[in-house]
Amino acid sequence: MEALKNFFRKDLVQYIIKRILMFIPTLLLISILVFFVIQLPPGDYVSAHISALASEGELVDADYAASMRADYGLDLPVWQQYIKWVKDIIWTPTDTPYYRLYHSHHNWKFSFAYGRDVWSVINDRLGITIGVTAIIMLFQYLVSLPIAVYASTHQYSVGDYISSIIGFIGTAIPNFILAIVLMYLSYKWTGSANVGLFSQEMLLNGVHLYNFGEFLKRMIIPIIVIGTSGTCGIIRSVRAQMLDEVARQYVLTARAKGVSEGKIVMKYCFRAAMNPTVSGLGGVLSSLFSGSTVTAMVLNMQIQGPVLYKALQSQDMYLAGGIVMVQAILVVVGILLSDIALAFLDPRIRYSGGGR
Amino acid sequence: MKKNGNKIAALVLSAAMCVSLLAGCGKAPASTPASTPASTPASTASVSTPAVPDTPVETYSEAPMLAEKVKAGSLPKVEDRVPDKDNVFVERTDANGTPLEIGTYGGVINWVGVSGWGLSRPTAESIIRFNCDGTWYPNAVKAIEHNADSTVWTFHLREGMKWSDGDDFNADDITFWYYMCHLNNFDGKRTGWKMLLDQKVDDVQTFAKLDKVDEYTVTWTFTQPKYEADFILDGDFKWCWAPSHYLKDLVPNYEGYEYVENPYWPNPGERNEEAVLTAAKKLGIDGASTKDVGKASTYNWWNCPGLPTISAFTLPANSSIKDDLCVAERNAFFWKVDAAGNQLPYLDALHFNAVSDDAQKSLLIRDGSLDVLDIDVKDIASALADINATETKAVLKTFANVNWGSTQITFNYTTPDENYAKLFANPDFRQAMSICVDRNEVSQLLSEGFLEPGQCAPGIGNFGYDEEWTNKWTEYDVAKAKTLFEGCGLVMGKDGFYDFADGTDCQIVFYTYDSPESDTSAYAVLSKYFNAAGIKTAQKNLELTAYDTVIDNNEWNACLGPHTEIGGLGLNDRPAPFVPIAQAAEWYGEYGTYYATGGAKGVKPEGDMAKLVELYEQWKATESDSERETIALQIFEIHKKNLWSIAYLKNGNGYVIVNSKIHNYADTLVYADKYQNQNIVHYEVLFKAE
Repeated sequence: MEALKNFFRKDLVQYIIKRILMFIPTLLLISILVFFVIQLPPGDYVSAHISALASEGELVDADYAASMRADYGLDLPVWQQYIKWVKDIIWTPTDTPYYRLYHSHHNWKFSFAYGRDVWSVINDRLGITIGVTAIIMLFQYLVSLPIAVYASTHQYSVGDYISSIIGFIGTAIPNFILAIVLMYLSYKWTGSANVGLFSQEMLLNGVHLYNFGEFLKRMIIPIIVIGTSGTCGIIRSVRAQMLDEVARQYVLTARAKGVSEGKIVMKYCFRAAMNPTVSGLGGVLSSLFSGSTVTAMVLNMQIQGPVLYKALQSQDMYLAGGIVMVQAILVVVGILLSDIALAFLDPRIRYSGGGR
Repeated sequence: MKKNGNKIAALVLSAAMCVSLLAGCGKAPASTPASTPASTPASTASVSTPAVPDTPVETYSEAPMLAEKVKAGSLPKVEDRVPDKDNVFVERTDANGTPLEIGTYGGVINWVGVSGWGLSRPTAESIIRFNCDGTWYPNAVKAIEHNADSTVWTFHLREGMKWSDGDDFNADDITFWYYMCHLNNFDGKRTGWKMLLDQKVDDVQTFAKLDKVDEYTVTWTFTQPKYEADFILDGDFKWCWAPSHYLKDLVPNYEGYEYVENPYWPNPGERNEEAVLTAAKKLGIDGASTKDVGKASTYNWWNCPGLPTISAFTLPANSSIKDDLCVAERNAFFWKVDAAGNQLPYLDALHFNAVSDDAQKSLLIRDGSLDVLDIDVKDIASALADINATETKAVLKTFANVNWGSTQITFNYTTPDENYAKLFANPDFRQAMSICVDRNEVSQLLSEGFLEPGQCAPGIGNFGYDEEWTNKWTEYDVAKAKTLFEGCGLVMGKDGFYDFADGTDCQIVFYTYDSPESDTSAYAVLSKYFNAAGIKTAQKNLELTAYDTVIDNNEWNACLGPHTEIGGLGLNDRPAPFVPIAQAAEWYGEYGTYYATGGAKGVKPEGDMAKLVELYEQWKATESDSERETIALQIFEIHKKNLWSIAYLKNGNGYVIVNSKIHNYADTLVYADKYQNQNIVHYEVLFKAE
């Protein structure tokens, strides 16, 4: 208890509050960028929808298109659309039709393509997206940290080279190619391409204990593909940090005092080498959310990425904007957590001016 | 070797398909139904000459899963769910007239995920159905007839037919759809569907009058003759019903959706958008506006979860076509049986598996996760070899395509730029653009010789096929092309490319769009020939929406692989690909806008373009099949003369890989929007067996 109290000292608490307050302008800025960038391509959802209908043989006249735009508020200037969007997400009053219909004060608007409330579409896949991202992050660190420690303590050895090659392969091969190759090999070797995170049986009956093994089997390819893409960066940075640390004076002193090599490496060098890695956690989270979109498309993963892609393609702007905003919130929170973890890892770090 | 095998197999299949289609695909509808209703309809439109003996069905059987429910008391017995023998639809043959096997119950068919039309293709039941040869027969209605001058059309419904929730399907569902869903524009199609339009009085559009004669008979009355081509055969007129018992609290009544006075449905009182959305939400129908709800429940009804339908497979409540696995379940109240009296469908469900990338489909069909898959010609041989090397076996089915040639280019005849407008209007220019390309080489480069050289013309076996037309302007003659270009007033510039006579640069920018079906890649091949003939070209590839915007804004000069191609099955499919009457196709540009907006916008058609519209009006107002055929051929003759679009290759067929355990799937069918594409497979009669 004392340790916890000591950890959440005044400067850290102040820092957290400051950072949370900083969320507001950060997210507002992101929302502006998101909304306006999504609107950049010519046309809007209605024109994309009409194109899709034309491809299917249905013709829509200009009056109908105009009335659709009016219904969806797409006939308003973009800045007005933006203000309405943000305002309704932050707070939708009780006396509005939306509240009466959905009993929620946060109107994320309507997904044109899904024909549903945007939040319900996001919510469908949010849990699985966070879960899959967490599993992949865990994989990345579990694989790359031991390799990095080994490589740094056995510099220029065969093991160092092999581990570097493994790390580089994941980074060098584009994810989508690796994904296709692994799916094909899976089909050739097992008779099942393992496309998607869930089998048809799971989609019908849900994931339970009896079919959890099948789910984990289907996670192998995504973990390898997405996980290995980030391992190289972690391996190289931790390895370099470790090499810096093992050459420092305090390590020599410790060794001279007879401290065991394992303790030197794990307790002192590794802990110090972790600082840049932990501080980069937020960035990794962000790249996993956004960078895995293409891979998720190729692997037919039932996470947020493919929904975002389809939303952008069909100019379903509220859905695309909603997903990006949720991801932005998660990343901003992730960065805050990584900062807190950094303080935990290195007690010397202060978040306010002056020392103790 | 594999490529050759692939090519030969496909060519043999094409030949077989063409022979079968020569029997009369695209003829004006005769009346030789491949499948026949059990009853003899009192219809001038469907005189039965059954291909299979029309033995009455005396008793019914049902799927074991339904029998269990009957036993448990949760479902009425089959005799109470299916119309009696005089009203039931007995499915005896496929769309080619081939007798069907009597199937066994159970199993599912796995498809790839669904699009907006997805569930309609395998499940929707229409007023009438077409055979592959273009003949038709009543389907959801028992019989159709009209009076002597075609001003009154009568629909006889099937007594005892039910919605998928067990409620009676009767005349009230027709009057409800017409007065409460269509005429008030709840479905958004009041003026979009022309088959129910009557004459204009003082420039105000009037509509057909619908009367309920009795519980199972309705009549549509027009002031002017309404012939079948403009009514029952109209490509849009596929349904005219809605489940009144389910939707009656959903109908809007406010500005834009005003109540339409009628003797059958009372005014529901003021019902604004919020009331509509609230009522819809109670039924599980989500929407941002009345328009969304109306379209979901009364137009794209096949995609509306929980909505009662008359289809063989229905979408249960709390599901969605956007689900990763969308399951359309057997309709326990389906109104069709096989020749042995087994209630259809045989299958328990249709499964639609969402994919996020096309490459996944080829893996899923190989590992047996899919039973049916549309496949590209180039992938057929390898896919079949892979699948047939496993325990799962598959066969190839062919869909004859009715389009007019592939690798099409067209020009903007309504471009505001006078130089280009004058150039494109000159048929010699189009001839030169056609003959400056070596089609044999293009065929090899783009299709490995699979697609034959040809022109933008009806394919062999299709209505209007004309060998001379198919070969028009197809010789490869660069010298002649250059002479023609110069005859059009173009002058060779110092850079080796033609300029306009006033010295301005002549550069034709071909717009293309991103799509698996588009001809984007053909530009690299074609531009080589255009440049060699002295025509400077460029390509502008756009995302489809951006492309459509450019076309709609009339900001283009030429395109490759038009979004709305010229031609198709025939005028009675949809006329827009043949005549400039809508804001749709590139080949008529703003001429179509002129007609679609009643002259308010667009460019007034002249010459042969205007003649097309004139002939189309005559075609609509003609009762006789043979006269309509004559007029249609006159329209085709104008197309042959002008060749507003140029194609370099003939059209290819569509191919589908089908799990060999699936029975009753015809070998060759016709792929046309009028036939609702894959709907012609008749999914309700498919079954799985070793």
